[in-house]
Amino acid sequence: MDRIPALHRRLKELERMNFQRGKILSFTTIRHPPAGFGPEPYIVALIEHLDGSKSLAQLTREGIPPAIGAEVIPHLRRIRTMRSGLHINDLKYEVIETQGAPLFTMHAYVLALTGPSGVGKTTITRSLLSLFHPLVEQVPLVATRRPRKTDLEPFVHVSEDEFEAMVARGEIIAHTVFTDRHEYRAGYRREDIEAVWKQTRLPIVTTDIRLLEGLSKALGRETILSCGLLPPGTSRRRMLSALLHRLRSRGQNTEEQIELQLRSAEADMKAFSTKSDLFDHLFVNDRLETCVESIKELVVPQN
Amino acid sequence: MREIVYVLGGGQTRFGELWESSLLGLIREAVDQATLNTGILPTDIDAVVIGNMLGGEAAEQAHLGTLVSGLLPHHPPALRVEAACASGGLAIHTACAFLESGKAETVLVIGAEKLTDIPGDNVTGALMHAADAEKDAPSGLTFAGVFALTALSYMHTYAITRDDLSLVSFSSHRAAVSNPFAQFRREIPVETISKSPLIADPLRLLDCSPISDGAAAVILSTRRESPVRIAASQLASESLSLIDRPGITSFGSTRTAMSHALAEAGWDRNSIDCIELHDCFSVATLIHLEDLGYCEEGEAIRLFKQHDTESSGSLPVNVSGGLKACGHPIGATGVKQILDCYKQLTKQAPNQVKGATRALAHNLGGVGATCTIHLLEV
Repeated sequence: MDRIPALHRRLKELERMNFQRGKILSFTTIRHPPAGFGPEPYIVALIEHLDGSKSLAQLTREGIPPAIGAEVIPHLRRIRTMRSGLHINDLKYEVIETQGAPLFTMHAYVLALTGPSGVGKTTITRSLLSLFHPLVEQVPLVATRRPRKTDLEPFVHVSEDEFEAMVARGEIIAHTVFTDRHEYRAGYRREDIEAVWKQTRLPIVTTDIRLLEGLSKALGRETILSCGLLPPGTSRRRMLSALLHRLRSRGQNTEEQIELQLRSAEADMKAFSTKSDLFDHLFVNDRLETCVESIKELVVPQN
Repeated sequence: MREIVYVLGGGQTRFGELWESSLLGLIREAVDQATLNTGILPTDIDAVVIGNMLGGEAAEQAHLGTLVSGLLPHHPPALRVEAACASGGLAIHTACAFLESGKAETVLVIGAEKLTDIPGDNVTGALMHAADAEKDAPSGLTFAGVFALTALSYMHTYAITRDDLSLVSFSSHRAAVSNPFAQFRREIPVETISKSPLIADPLRLLDCSPISDGAAAVILSTRRESPVRIAASQLASESLSLIDRPGITSFGSTRTAMSHALAEAGWDRNSIDCIELHDCFSVATLIHLEDLGYCEEGEAIRLFKQHDTESSGSLPVNVSGGLKACGHPIGATGVKQILDCYKQLTKQAPNQVKGATRALAHNLGGVGATCTIHLLEV
């Protein structure tokens, strides 16, 4: 029911109000607006003002996406249309850029790149790291192998026993066994990922299926922006042959090791279809720039 | 309690979308079941209290007290009480006040709601009446939206994941499989819950208790005895609007009602064998368990992960299926909770907690603005 006198009182109240900036304490997207508020979903935020008072108000459609802690400024905008055709204005807030405001929408997330060895995970990661410096950071891998000169990624060496203890204590939230050169265990620690979040940066992890499953279980599937990387080629056979070519040209591994890696690559690629729910996007890495560009668009949506 | 108040038993309708039944029809069925199950003569009833929120908005029926009184041959004095979703708990609390004061010796308590006569968006609009009409509603917020604000803040503060929330709904649905009165008697996997349509981010359809019709009735008495007694009946309030509260990831009304109830009964919270909790939204369940003092803030999800909340666990919660799976006919819920506790204590529950002698019913109105807590024992 349209209670016109109630709206009149609200307008009088707005006239008396001291329009203040504030910051977002929480927000939600209303998917099914009540009568009069139009068919399109909109965002309502709980806002704390500079003087400590709070209010509930819609956010405007312009401005950057909201985040907890983001700063907002008030505007007077149309909020609803009564059945009589009367348009009603009320306070709406625009999210503005502030120093130290969280960059990413919703809560923090992790960018996971998954693909067979040789597909180009490391190269893409390095490219993203330099493109988005200092907004992204690679999460160090905790592993039971010795560091190598050829290591390009941040890396923490621990003994088998330490690794086991960290898994038991729940510090390592995802782990797997890698077989390049020889077998070793590797995983990611929650505290490393959280440390990146704390700096309001986006953590990047390179994963195989087991690591991805572990992370998705521990952090929640929605927390992970999961990209699968495929080698170029129109068939699985051609993709594997492209991988073989890349692995050989690296010159780091023996033929036996390469064969092992190819076998696990085949399993990884199968997982793209059998465990498709673990992936948000699949990219074919035929040209590095296009692949990086596609991932960049996901991370920083263009308006 | 100033008097020993006995729970003689009661009855309820099935909860669900009951197109064939009117509000009065639902009430009649619950009252008939209650008198049948307790074997009491209708004329022994001295007073009637009915809890209902949206009789006027959804069933075009106000004046419910007298409406119900007319179902009994001697037209006893009757009144309707309302505290949004806590209307049922408030009805029990009001009946206890009648009994303790000596105004009545046997009271029929009813909770009833008929929502599905009107379109869903009208129900959504009417449910928002549980929040503050001047501070909350003008922004276009819905009732699910208010809880969504709480949910996002809670998930953000305590690193709760999507699947964590789904685990709560999952356990309610699994418990309801054996409950013949439940609206949804089907297990729903966590993945399905996590992928259900968004209602108000981050809350999804299967985080929310459904829109339901239904009625429940119990009979309380100081004159007639029964093995089950009410050990405490408490009612507490806090600011209606979220904007007037210091924080939104805990509800002060639950904390106040719980501490007063434990003091009234002289119980330790760990002596309670089973809990019927107001799980109107998945995130609410977690907040309630923390407010009731069963774990630290942000820790409640652990109880679900460790299976403590199952009927065989150390802290059985909503083994009836709760609001999520049984359905949530607003005013009926608080009365149905007392009935479920009664069934547990008299070993008649479909999902029986072995050796249960003490039970707790927690009913919430609005976003934790009203809370009633009842402690029952044999």
